[in-house]
Amino acid sequence: MNSGVWEEVGCAKLWNEWCRATDAVHLSPAEAFCVFYHLKSNPSVFLCQCSCYVAEDQQYQWLEKVFGSCPKKNMQVTILTCRHVTDYKTPESTSSLHPPFLKALKTQTSKESPCCSLLEQPNIVHDLPAAVLSYCQVWKIPAILYLCYTDVMKLDLITAEAFKPVLSSRSLKGLVKNIPQSTEILKKLVATNEVQSNIYT
Amino acid sequence: MFVPCGESVCDLAGFTLLMPAVSVGNVGQLAIDLVISTLNMCKIGYFYTDCLVPMVGNNPYATSEKNSTELSINAEVYSLPSKKLVVLQLRSIFIKYKSKPFCEKLLSWVKSSNLAKVIVLSSSHSYHRNDLQLRSTPFRYLLTPSLQKSVQNKIKSLNWAEMEKSPCIPEISDSEYCIRIPGGGITKTLYDESCSKEIPMAVLLKFVSEGDNIPDALGLVEYLNEWLQIIKPHSDDPTASALPWKIPSSWRLLFGSGLPPALF
Repeated sequence: MNSGVWEEVGCAKLWNEWCRATDAVHLSPAEAFCVFYHLKSNPSVFLCQCSCYVAEDQQYQWLEKVFGSCPKKNMQVTILTCRHVTDYKTPESTSSLHPPFLKALKTQTSKESPCCSLLEQPNIVHDLPAAVLSYCQVWKIPAILYLCYTDVMKLDLITAEAFKPVLSSRSLKGLVKNIPQSTEILKKLVATNEVQSNIYT
Repeated sequence: MFVPCGESVCDLAGFTLLMPAVSVGNVGQLAIDLVISTLNMCKIGYFYTDCLVPMVGNNPYATSEKNSTELSINAEVYSLPSKKLVVLQLRSIFIKYKSKPFCEKLLSWVKSSNLAKVIVLSSSHSYHRNDLQLRSTPFRYLLTPSLQKSVQNKIKSLNWAEMEKSPCIPEISDSEYCIRIPGGGITKTLYDESCSKEIPMAVLLKFVSEGDNIPDALGLVEYLNEWLQIIKPHSDDPTASALPWKIPSSWRLLFGSGLPPALF
């Protein structure tokens, strides 16, 4: 989002027990947690920043509201998400894993070559990313999901940098500039999001 | 709703639908996995619904690098036209309050597709068995009235045990008797709805406990095979070592990842 001018075009308001907002009815856009932007220079490019947990009984309705109004012809979807590395199953010992690392899943109609290896069986994906990818698979929309397995519970520079190869992928490279300076930009982004610990003040 | 994979419309008239109930030990689902994997069935579509928790993963029946990259979702339909068999596999649990709507949607699809019969593979808690059930085979069957006429004789010849009725309210001594399937998930709902909608349905279940339920799944498919003969029956020859059922590649790591060597 740092690379272009993005204009907010909508939001999806939802509430569940995981949300921080207390008033479910009068959610302000800032509390909506699923904000949609489009690129001013190319309004057919949309970005959705989902910073809340969409509960399992809300996922289908979320999809219907978001994709129901989108024309499906020539649509391409890229999903970025994270899971804790303890979710990852491998025949090797878990101490041989070096998080963060990326894995991908793509729909039948996606022609894109993932910038990392595909997620091996028996690993699976849940929640909203799975709901979106399932929708795309059923309705034959080209979609690719990049999943970062990380060993930290909150945003940090190393996990964010794990997504760097995705920025050079066919679908996203046109949207991103200044890749060599991305580490500096990311550092600034992480610092502003960090809640300073005040346990000793 | 059923959404086909390809462009062509599948004609399932006269086919037998095999499906699992999400039940104790996931035995029905494991058994269905064995059927799909052994018969190398082709995916023909998805049962796209808001009733099941979404999940995705790569092809659970992959046999090589080439076919391992096909995406699978939570409810998919496979078929084997040569045996007039269509299979629905469910891979996740029901969202709260959505199990009844799912049964309604499923049975309406069964009716509109003119399927010949439905067979539900399920399981029930073994600790709920009464004394008589403890001493007998762990397999049971149930038939809806509309299926009874056509298959009763075949079932009789197999010497199968029908699911017994038990007190509706166990704590009350003069309670009425009814069919109860504790741990059976939607099995009872599907059975009751099929009875009232005159859908030919059979339920095949095994009494199980949670744990390593692979042997239970193998037992249940053998039980099914006694009736449907979908693969050649396991021979009585004790020297025959080959397992007739193909274990899917996704059954790896059922109990977690590899262990760190430093543990030992």
